Amino acid sequence: MEAGDITDHISRRFNKDLEDLRSAVLTMGGLVETQLSKAIAAIVKGDSALGLEVANDDYKVNALEVNIDEECSRILATRAPAAGDLRLIVAIIKTITDLERIGDEAEKIGFLASQLAVMDRPSDSYRELKNLGNHVLQMLHDTMNAFARLDVKASIAVVREDEEVDAEYDAINRQGITFMMEDPQNIKRVMNVTWVARALERIGDHSKNICEYVIYMVEGRNVRHTDIIKSAIHSSD
Amino acid sequence: MQKLRQKVILGHLALLAGGALVGSLYDQVLIGLLVAALLGLGWHVRQLLRFEQALRDRHFGSLRYGDGIWSQLYSRFNYQRSQSKQYKKSYRQLLKEVRKSTNAMPDGGIILNRDFEIVLCNKAAQRLAGFRRHQDRGHRVDNILRDPAFGNYLNAGVFDKGIEIRSPTREGGWLLCRIVPYGADQLLLLIQDITERRRLAAMRRDFVANASHELRSPLTVVSGYLDTLAEEEDIPAHWQKPLMQMKTQASRMNKIVAELLELSRLEGAGAAPTDEIVDICGLLAAAKKSLAGRNDIPKIDIQCNSRAQLHGSTAEIESVIVNLMSNAIRHTPVEGQVTMTWASDRDGANLSVTDTGIGIEPEHIPRLTERFFRVDPGRSRDDGGVGLGLAIVKHVLERHEAKLQIESVPGSGSRFACHFPPGRIVAAEPVPIAGSSSI
Repeated sequence: MEAGDITDHISRRFNKDLEDLRSAVLTMGGLVETQLSKAIAAIVKGDSALGLEVANDDYKVNALEVNIDEECSRILATRAPAAGDLRLIVAIIKTITDLERIGDEAEKIGFLASQLAVMDRPSDSYRELKNLGNHVLQMLHDTMNAFARLDVKASIAVVREDEEVDAEYDAINRQGITFMMEDPQNIKRVMNVTWVARALERIGDHSKNICEYVIYMVEGRNVRHTDIIKSAIHSSD
Repeated sequence: MQKLRQKVILGHLALLAGGALVGSLYDQVLIGLLVAALLGLGWHVRQLLRFEQALRDRHFGSLRYGDGIWSQLYSRFNYQRSQSKQYKKSYRQLLKEVRKSTNAMPDGGIILNRDFEIVLCNKAAQRLAGFRRHQDRGHRVDNILRDPAFGNYLNAGVFDKGIEIRSPTREGGWLLCRIVPYGADQLLLLIQDITERRRLAAMRRDFVANASHELRSPLTVVSGYLDTLAEEEDIPAHWQKPLMQMKTQASRMNKIVAELLELSRLEGAGAAPTDEIVDICGLLAAAKKSLAGRNDIPKIDIQCNSRAQLHGSTAEIESVIVNLMSNAIRHTPVEGQVTMTWASDRDGANLSVTDTGIGIEPEHIPRLTERFFRVDPGRSRDDGGVGLGLAIVKHVLERHEAKLQIESVPGSGSRFACHFPPGRIVAAEPVPIAGSSSI
C-alpha cells in the first residue's frame, strides 16, 4: 500500500513537472505573440519608440528559451520519460527553438519599424504589411492555441494557412518591385518593407513548424516534409 | 411501526410454532423446528436475491409487489426513489436556469480551481477571450489567455485590482480581467470588454492635448505683445493697471496650458523609467534653495533621514516636490512651518511634506487630486495656484508605482506622504555619481 502511494506521488510530481513545462512554453508563446503584435503596431503607427522597445525586449524571450531548455534536459536526465512523455519533451525542445526565432524576427521587425518611422510614410500606412502581419499574428495565436489544446485539426488548419501567407508575401514583393521601378527614391523604403514582409513570412513558416510538432506530439506521426493534406485524409481513415 | 414489528415477530414465531407442532405429531419436535426455520430462511434469501436482481437490472417495476416485511421494504424504497428523482429533476432545472443566466451575462465568467485550471466558463468568455467551453475544461487559464501581463498578475496572487490586456480575439479590443477569490480555494475570473471605455478615455486625452496645444500659439502672441506694451513708457496712467492684470492672467493661462500638456503626456505614458537614479535629498535641498531670500513664506525644514535613492524620472519627481511644497507654502501662514522628510524602511520609502497650515476638511480629501478641484469655490486663484498640481503629482506617482496619502486636521495642518515601493528604491549604499566613474 505504502509503495503504491509513493509511486503515485512520484508520477504526480512528474505530471506536474510536465504540465509546468508545457505552461512555460505557452508563457513564452504569449510573450512572443505580444512582441509580434507590438512590432506590427509599431510599423502601422510609425511608432519608433515602440519598435525599439520590442527590439530591446527580445532578451526576455531568449532567457525563457534557455530556462525551458535546461528544464527539458533535467527531465530527460532524471525521469527518462518514454512514449508520449518523451514526444512531449522532444516537441517542446523543437518548439522553443522556433519560438525563439519568431522572437528574433519580431525583434528585427521592431528595429525596422523604428527606421521606417523616420522615413516618408505611404498614404495607406503600410496597409499590406498590416494585413500580412495580422494574418501571421492570427496564425501564431492559433498555433499556440493548438499547442495548448493539443488540437490536431487546428494544427492542420494552420499549416494550410501558411500557403495564404506565402501568397500575400509574393504579392507584397511584386508591388514593391513596381514601386521601385516607378521611382528609385522609393528603393530604400521598399527594401525595408520587403525585409519586414520577409520576416513575417518566416514567422508563418515557424508557426507551421510548431503545428507539425503538435501533430507529432499527439499522434506520434512525423508530418514534416510530407503532403499534409494527404496525411490528414489518411488520419481520418 | 410498533405494530409492524409485532406482526413480523409474531409471524416468525407462528412459523416456528407451526413447525414444532407438526414435528410433535411425529415426535420429532426439533426436526420440525429446523424445517420451519429453514423454510423461513429460504424464503427470505429468495426475496433478497430478487431485490438484488431488480436493483442490478434497474427493473424497479418488479419491486411493486412483495410479501410480508418485504412489501413494506419495497414500497419504502420506491417512495424514496421517486422522491430523489423529483429532487434531481428540480436541481437539474435549477442548474439549467443558473447556466442560462450565466450565459446571458454580458461579462465573461470563468471558475478556476486553485491551480488556475478552468472548471467552468460561460458563453461571454468564449466570445471575449476565445475560450472553448468544453474543450478548455481542465486547462490552465494562462495557457489560453497568454498575455504576459495576465500571467504575471496570476502569479503575483494579489487580486485587489483587475488588469487590462489586449483582446486575443478582436484587433484593437481591450479586456479588463479581474480575479475574485471565493469559497475555500475557488477563483472567479471576470472578463469585461472595455474597448469603448478606453477609446473614450483616449479621445478625451487627445482632445485636451490638442486643445492645449492649439491654445499655445495665440497665447504666445498675446503675451508677447503684452510684454512689449508693458515696457512702453508713454502708456497713459489709466492703462497701466489693466495692462499689468492682462499680463498676469496671460502668464497664468500659459501655465495652465503647460500643465495640461504635461498631464496628458503623463496619462499617455507607461511606467516611469528605471534606469535613471533620483537623488531625493538633493532635489529637496534645491527646492528649498529656490525660495531662499523670500520672507513672505513660512519656515522650510528638510529632514533627510535616509540615503536611499529612487529609480525614476528626476524631472517628474522634482515637479512632485515643487508642487507639494508650493501647496504647503500657500496654505500655511508666515509664522508656520513646512517640513519635508525623506525616510526609508523595509517596506519602501516615504517622501512627505507636512505643514502647520489651515488643513483640509476630511470630505474634500478624496477629491483633492481631481483637475481644477477647489476646496473653497469662492476663493479666487490669486495665490498663483492653477488647480492641476495635485493631479500631476498623482499621475507622476502612479507612473512610479507610488501611492499618495493625505492626512489633515483642519486648523492645525496637513501631511502629504508619497510612498514608494521597495522595487523602486536603490539601497542605501553610496552610489557613484554619474560621470565621475574612472572609465
